[in-house]
Amino acid sequence: MSLPNAYARAEADELVEVTMTVNGSETTMSLPSRVTLSDALRDHLGLTGTHVGCEHGICGMCTILVDGEAARACLLFAVQLDGAEVTTVEGLGRQDDLHPLQEAFGRHHALQCGFCTPGFLMSAYDLLRHEPDVRTEDLPDELSGVLCRCTGYRNIVDAVADVAHAHRDGLPGPANCAQRTLVGRTPAGAGAASAVEEPEPMAGTGGHPEEIVLPGGEPTISVDVTTQLESGPDDVARVFGDIRLLARCLPGAELTDELGNDWYRGRARIALGPVRLSFAGMAHILEQTDDRIVMRGQGQDTGGGGAQADIVMTATPSASGVSLQAEAKVFLTGRIAGFGRSLAGDVSRRMFEEFARSLDRAAAGAEPDAHSRPPGAVSILVGALSDRFRQRLARLRRGRGRRTP
Amino acid sequence: MKAAPFAYVRPGSTQDALAELGRDGAKVLAGGQSLVPVLAMRLGRPSTLVDINAVPELSRISRDHGTLRIGATVRQRQVQYDAATAAVPLLRMALPWVGHREIRSRGTVCGSIAHADPSAELPAVASCLDATMVVAGAEGVREIAAGEFFTGAMTTVIGAEELLTEVRFPIAAPGEGHGFGEFARRHGDFALAGVVVRVRTRDERVDARVSCFGVSDHPVSRDISGELQAALAAVGPTPAEPDLRRALAEHAERITSDVVDTGGDAHASTAYRRRLTAGLLAREVARAYLKSLRSAEEGTSR
Repeated sequence: MSLPNAYARAEADELVEVTMTVNGSETTMSLPSRVTLSDALRDHLGLTGTHVGCEHGICGMCTILVDGEAARACLLFAVQLDGAEVTTVEGLGRQDDLHPLQEAFGRHHALQCGFCTPGFLMSAYDLLRHEPDVRTEDLPDELSGVLCRCTGYRNIVDAVADVAHAHRDGLPGPANCAQRTLVGRTPAGAGAASAVEEPEPMAGTGGHPEEIVLPGGEPTISVDVTTQLESGPDDVARVFGDIRLLARCLPGAELTDELGNDWYRGRARIALGPVRLSFAGMAHILEQTDDRIVMRGQGQDTGGGGAQADIVMTATPSASGVSLQAEAKVFLTGRIAGFGRSLAGDVSRRMFEEFARSLDRAAAGAEPDAHSRPPGAVSILVGALSDRFRQRLARLRRGRGRRTP
Repeated sequence: MKAAPFAYVRPGSTQDALAELGRDGAKVLAGGQSLVPVLAMRLGRPSTLVDINAVPELSRISRDHGTLRIGATVRQRQVQYDAATAAVPLLRMALPWVGHREIRSRGTVCGSIAHADPSAELPAVASCLDATMVVAGAEGVREIAAGEFFTGAMTTVIGAEELLTEVRFPIAAPGEGHGFGEFARRHGDFALAGVVVRVRTRDERVDARVSCFGVSDHPVSRDISGELQAALAAVGPTPAEPDLRRALAEHAERITSDVVDTGGDAHASTAYRRRLTAGLLAREVARAYLKSLRSAEEGTSR
C-alpha cells in the first residue's frame, strides 16, 4: 500500500481533487471533502453495484476492497483514497463470466432481494483471498460484518463454504477490471466526469479532434452480423461512396455537420418501449473504398451515458447479390451500460439488420426510409424480445429432449 | 446520514499536521472507523479534518529496546498479521475482537486508543500492559503511561492541538502468560464486559494484572496477584484449569464488585455485567497462569 500524497487545505465549500484506480480504471474526481466513497462510486462514477444501507458502518452493504482488503465505503471519505486501488462488485466478474463466488451465490440461492449481495460478495472475497484455509464452522463469525434480512444466512454460508472448498489453493482475482470510462449517474453530480469526454478540437480543423480513442478492455457489445443484399456490388459501392446517403440508412441517425477530413457530426435517437436514448456525437471515417468502410464514432446520451464504437463494414459479392458483413465493437458507459448486455447486443444486431435493409433499398435507388420514423422503435424491441423468446423455447425443447430416456 | 461540511487537509509531516491541529475545531482523521460514524450522525461537527495518512513516519511498526512501537496510521489488520507483533501476544489475542475484518483493514491501533471508547478492547490492552503513549504537540513530545492516559469515556489527556503519534507496548518476557475474554451480544458489537489478563511466573513468584472494559467509563486495571496466590495456595502450583478457575471464582466476585461501576443499560444491568466479568476473569486468569508456567519452562512468552 502506498501512502497518499500530501494535499493542501481545502475549505469546506471547496472541491478536493482525488485520483484513484477503480476496477482497473484510473479516475480523477473533484469532490466536496465530506462525500463518502460509497456516494462517489454511485453518484460520480455510476457504479451503483455498491449499495448503501446504514451509512455508519454497521450493515456492511457498501463493502468494497481498498488495496485488496475489504472496507466499508461509507466510513471512508472519497478524498482519502488518493492513489488507492478500489475494487467494487462490478469489478468481480462479468454477466457472461461470473466470479466463482457470484456463481455459487446463484446456485445456493444465497440471495433473495439481493440488497446485501454486493457486500457479502466483497467480504467473502476478502476472506477467502486472505484465509483460504478458513474452517467452515468459523464462516458465520467471519462473515458477520455484513447483515442480511432475507436468507437467514444459511445459504450464504453454504455458498462461501462451497467456494472455499473448491479454491483452497487460491481464489481467482477480480475478472472485470480494465481501463474503461466511468461516468456519473446525474449530470448534476458536482465534479462528475462527463460520459464520453469530447476530445479537444485540433487546431486548423473544422472543429474535430485528432482521433477518437476507444477504451481498453472488452467492449460492452460485440456485433458480427452478415446480411444478404439483393443489390449488386456496383450499387452497394455507390452507397458506400456517399456518406450522406449511408447515414440515412442508419436507423435513427442524422448527419448534422461535415467537419472536413472525413469527420462528421451527428445525432442518433433510439426508442425501445419506454426507453429513450438520444446521442449527439462525432464519427470519423478511417477507410472508405467501394467494398469496405471503417469508422469510429462516439456519442453522449443526454441522460448522462456514453457510447463509443468501432465499426467495420465489408461488402463481398455473392451468388444472389452482395453479402454485407458488419462488425462492431461498442463500449457503453453510464445508465445505458446497465441495460443488460444480452439485450443491448440483441438490439444492436437488429439495428444492423435494419441498416442492411435500408442500404439495400438505397442501393436500388429507393428512399432508405430509415430515419423518417422513430428509429428502431417498437419493431426492434419486439424483434429482439421474440429472438430471445425463440432461443429460450429452443433451450426448453433441447432440455426436454435430454431428459427423455 | 451525511457528515456536515468540513475543511480538509492532508499534511505530509508531523510538524505540518500539528500546525493544522492548531486551528480551532480541527480533528485528526486516521482510520476514521470511530470518527466517521460520529460525523455521519452529526454528533460531532469538526471544522477541519486533518488527514494524517500521508505522513510517512506515522505508518511504521518497529521493535527496539524491549518495546513494540506502533505508529498512528498503522492499521489494526496490519498489526494482526505483522511478524513483529508476535512479541506482544495480547495484541493478537484482542484484535480479532475489534469490530470486523472490514473495520480492522482501515481502523488503527492508535486511533482506537485515542478514541478511548469504554467498551473498546485496545485501550484495555494498553492499560493491562501499561503501554506508553507518545503525544506530540507544539511544545514538544510527551510520553504518557496508560495509567494516566485514560480519564473518562472517550476522554484522554491528549490536548485538542496534540497528536498521538505512537504507542509503545512492552514486549512479553519469558514466564508471561496472557488471557483475553469478551462477551458481546454479536460478534463485532460493543462488549458488555471484557477482561485482559497478564500473569508473570518467575522463580516461585507469581503476579497478575487484569484490565476490565465495558464495565466503567474507562478501562479499569487491578493488581490481583494476591487473589491468584490465594487461589494457588488452595489448589497447588500446578492445578488443572477447572480447579483453578473454581478457586479463582471465589475471589472474582469481590474484584468485580469493585471494578464494575457502570450504571448498566438496556442490554445489561450492573449486576449482570459483574457476573459476566467474574466468569471471564476466573477463566482467563486460570488460562493465563497455566500459559505462564509453560512459558517459564520454555523460556518464551505466550
